[in-house]
Amino acid sequence: MAEEDEEARALLAGGPEAGSGVPGGARALPALCDPSRLAHRLLVLLLMCLLGFGSYFCYDIPAALQTHVKRDMQVNTTKFMLLYAWYSWPNVVLCFFGGFLIDRVFGIRWGTIIFSCFVCIGQVIFALGGIFNAFWLMELGRFVFGIGGESLAVAQNTYAVSWFKGKELNLVFGLQLSMARIGSTVNMNLMGWLYSKIETSLGSSGHMTLGVTLMIGGITCILSLICALVLAYLDLRAEKILHKEQGKTGEVIKLTDIKDFSLPLWLIFIICVCYYAAVFPFIGLGKVFFSEKFGFSSQSASAVNSIVYIISAPMSPIFGLLVDKTGKNIIWVLCAVAATLLSHMMLAFTLWNPWIAMSLLGLAYSLLACALWPMVAFLVPEHQLGTAYGFMQSIQNLGLAVISIFAGLILDSRGYLFLEVFFIACVSLSLLAVICLYLVNHGQGGNLNYSAKQREEMKLSDPE
Amino acid sequence: MWSPEEPRWGWGPRAPTSLVLLSVLVSAAPLGLLGEETRQVFMEVISGCPTPQNLLYIRAVGTNSTLHYVWSSFGPPAVVLVATNTTQSVLKVNWSLLLSPDPEGGLMVHPKNSIQFSSALVFTRLLEFDSTKVSEGAAEPPGKPYPPYSLDKFSWNNITLDPDTLSTTFQGHPIDDPTGAFANGSLAFKVQAFSRSGRPAQPPRLLHTADTCQLEVALVGASSQGNHSLFGLEVVTLGNGPDCPSMKEQRSIDDEYAPAVFQLDQLLWGSLPSGFMQWRPVAFSQKQRNRESSLPCQASSLSPTLAYSLPHSPIVQAFFGSQNNFCTFNLTFGDPTGPGYWDQHYLCWSMLLGVGLPPIDSLSPLVLGIMAVALGAPGLVLLGGGLALLLRHKWYSEYQSIN
Repeated sequence: MAEEDEEARALLAGGPEAGSGVPGGARALPALCDPSRLAHRLLVLLLMCLLGFGSYFCYDIPAALQTHVKRDMQVNTTKFMLLYAWYSWPNVVLCFFGGFLIDRVFGIRWGTIIFSCFVCIGQVIFALGGIFNAFWLMELGRFVFGIGGESLAVAQNTYAVSWFKGKELNLVFGLQLSMARIGSTVNMNLMGWLYSKIETSLGSSGHMTLGVTLMIGGITCILSLICALVLAYLDLRAEKILHKEQGKTGEVIKLTDIKDFSLPLWLIFIICVCYYAAVFPFIGLGKVFFSEKFGFSSQSASAVNSIVYIISAPMSPIFGLLVDKTGKNIIWVLCAVAATLLSHMMLAFTLWNPWIAMSLLGLAYSLLACALWPMVAFLVPEHQLGTAYGFMQSIQNLGLAVISIFAGLILDSRGYLFLEVFFIACVSLSLLAVICLYLVNHGQGGNLNYSAKQREEMKLSDPE
Repeated sequence: MWSPEEPRWGWGPRAPTSLVLLSVLVSAAPLGLLGEETRQVFMEVISGCPTPQNLLYIRAVGTNSTLHYVWSSFGPPAVVLVATNTTQSVLKVNWSLLLSPDPEGGLMVHPKNSIQFSSALVFTRLLEFDSTKVSEGAAEPPGKPYPPYSLDKFSWNNITLDPDTLSTTFQGHPIDDPTGAFANGSLAFKVQAFSRSGRPAQPPRLLHTADTCQLEVALVGASSQGNHSLFGLEVVTLGNGPDCPSMKEQRSIDDEYAPAVFQLDQLLWGSLPSGFMQWRPVAFSQKQRNRESSLPCQASSLSPTLAYSLPHSPIVQAFFGSQNNFCTFNLTFGDPTGPGYWDQHYLCWSMLLGVGLPPIDSLSPLVLGIMAVALGAPGLVLLGGGLALLLRHKWYSEYQSIN
């Protein structure tokens, strides 16, 4: 840090001969504008967090406006869930190429801008589908939105790695995720209210009201695009001032590596797919569930639905710390999956206040994310990590796409109890996979369930 | 005695000419009233001479009890429900008394001392509300009311009997229709009796037993008085003693049979077992009854009403005499937003009427099976795997101790 300061001062002190191509080199750079100073990096951190805000805000708009979409566009639940399925379909393939596109084709700056554009354009097409009363246009909009959405997250992470190192990085990832979750929460609680305001001002409900509401929701995507542009400029400027390299994901995807995946890794994939398939489609359909089964008003139902995200915003860093300190990842995953099973059973078979079950679900969801994803890094050598994570994301999206449609079908024909039983079956499959993972890991003498102390010892005794 | 002009179904006051007999089927059914699992059901239309007035008479005979349902097509649609504890009870109809201005004694069930429960249900008015003029915060009425249709001014003589399904449909039109609202439409009451328990395939899929019969009310094709009208029914019951029957709303976790409907409403005439009315608070606005076309159904609370303010029902007076402990409640169908009658000019609602213990829904075997596997499989694997690890650990430690 001190060296960078000196370098900066040298640049400031010197005149035109201090360095070539430094814009405004003779002026003093205030802390906010100096890429080496903390203030500037905090500004960049803020922009990075806001980058994902629009994408996460708009991802769950269908959930927040479920009744309105179904009524104004005259669609049943199966077709409604296609809005989520179409988001996931492009990401089945794109997860493998996101890193490649950022590293080799576009570069981080242009990549972020392009993906942000896809997010914006996708949301605009989605809104136009409402205005012109064309559901196929809405599906197309979600498809385009999906192309940009997940890849934007990869770009966001790459920026983070480029600007922050070491211990700061975990905090930055946590903050980015929290900001994303705040975006989802704001969406859940705001869009219903926004729709009713538009309805009163336009005088009637209908596809036009829906379209206008979606267009206004798209303003957050414009915000993300602006952040992407500013970030690109600041990154370019920092490269010139600090002579640092453009960030890279460093991912190398080799699809042939898949045959090398071990049994524990496949079990982790099963856990991932089955678990998230019981969480995200449920949140997508949750609002109407809470108002029809528990008699909640529209506002309260939105609030309960968003509690999962509200809880995960502060708890993700805390659980991350917990898992780092204690290790024993498999046990934490087991706790998280069992808690989710309990939560779904409470929602299905009792009339207890859903705040309890949803809070439990929020805690379990945060815990699982912190304990499950790092396990992949323990099982897979560094050069295969990109492929493993890409594959995990890809099948997760495939699972979400298929299960979303299936959930809509079940709901239309058999009702909410059967839907909950279906989700319980998914979580139970995930639980089965966790138990098998524990047994296989124990049997093979694997290191997935090592405590933090054992991991330290392993690192020290490692001749490397 | 027979003349070609005689109506095909039934003639004369006492002798039913056509009977519908159903073979007794044994089934594992939840216990109904007095424990009857199956009943022999006889359904016939009894006509009076010389006027074309008809009564639908359903007699459900069990092993040691009989249920008599008498539905009338003159006056407002009404049913007299009588439960007796013998298989030998009979209904006696005195048409001349029944059609006179004072019909008391026109309907009788003998022997009188075998009657365990008797009551009546009358559908007196079809209500209509303008949903666009809703006062804020008012739950009832759901809008500004239009003039109601009095159902005793309808002609119900269009009767179709279907012996295969044990159902009869009464289609009604107003006798006087100055506005032509019912020119292309009708209000239909479909009564269906059951010989054993089961569940229809069509929503709301109310579970019925041999001690119940089902009524479906359908308003089809009639023009509404406004663009966004909500319809309702005024229902009158005969109270048990001075008090009105009690209305119970049962919330449940199970919506397998009626997606997104978690409630079952009941009207109980007294402490169980006695007569009951059961329905799901949902109506449908399309022929294919699915979730998209479901309308919420609100029931107001029961209020005592004096007989003179209600349309007069001859069969109620015929069986019970002059009564004054009538209780009225209103059912309204639909919301100002969402689907409504205006979509396809169709509205239908179902209810069960019976005696004894109201049927209770239980979780279907499929749900129970999936839950058993979902909870059992991880448990078994955990147990089995844990045992295997324990044994292996023991085996290894034994091996080491030798070395």
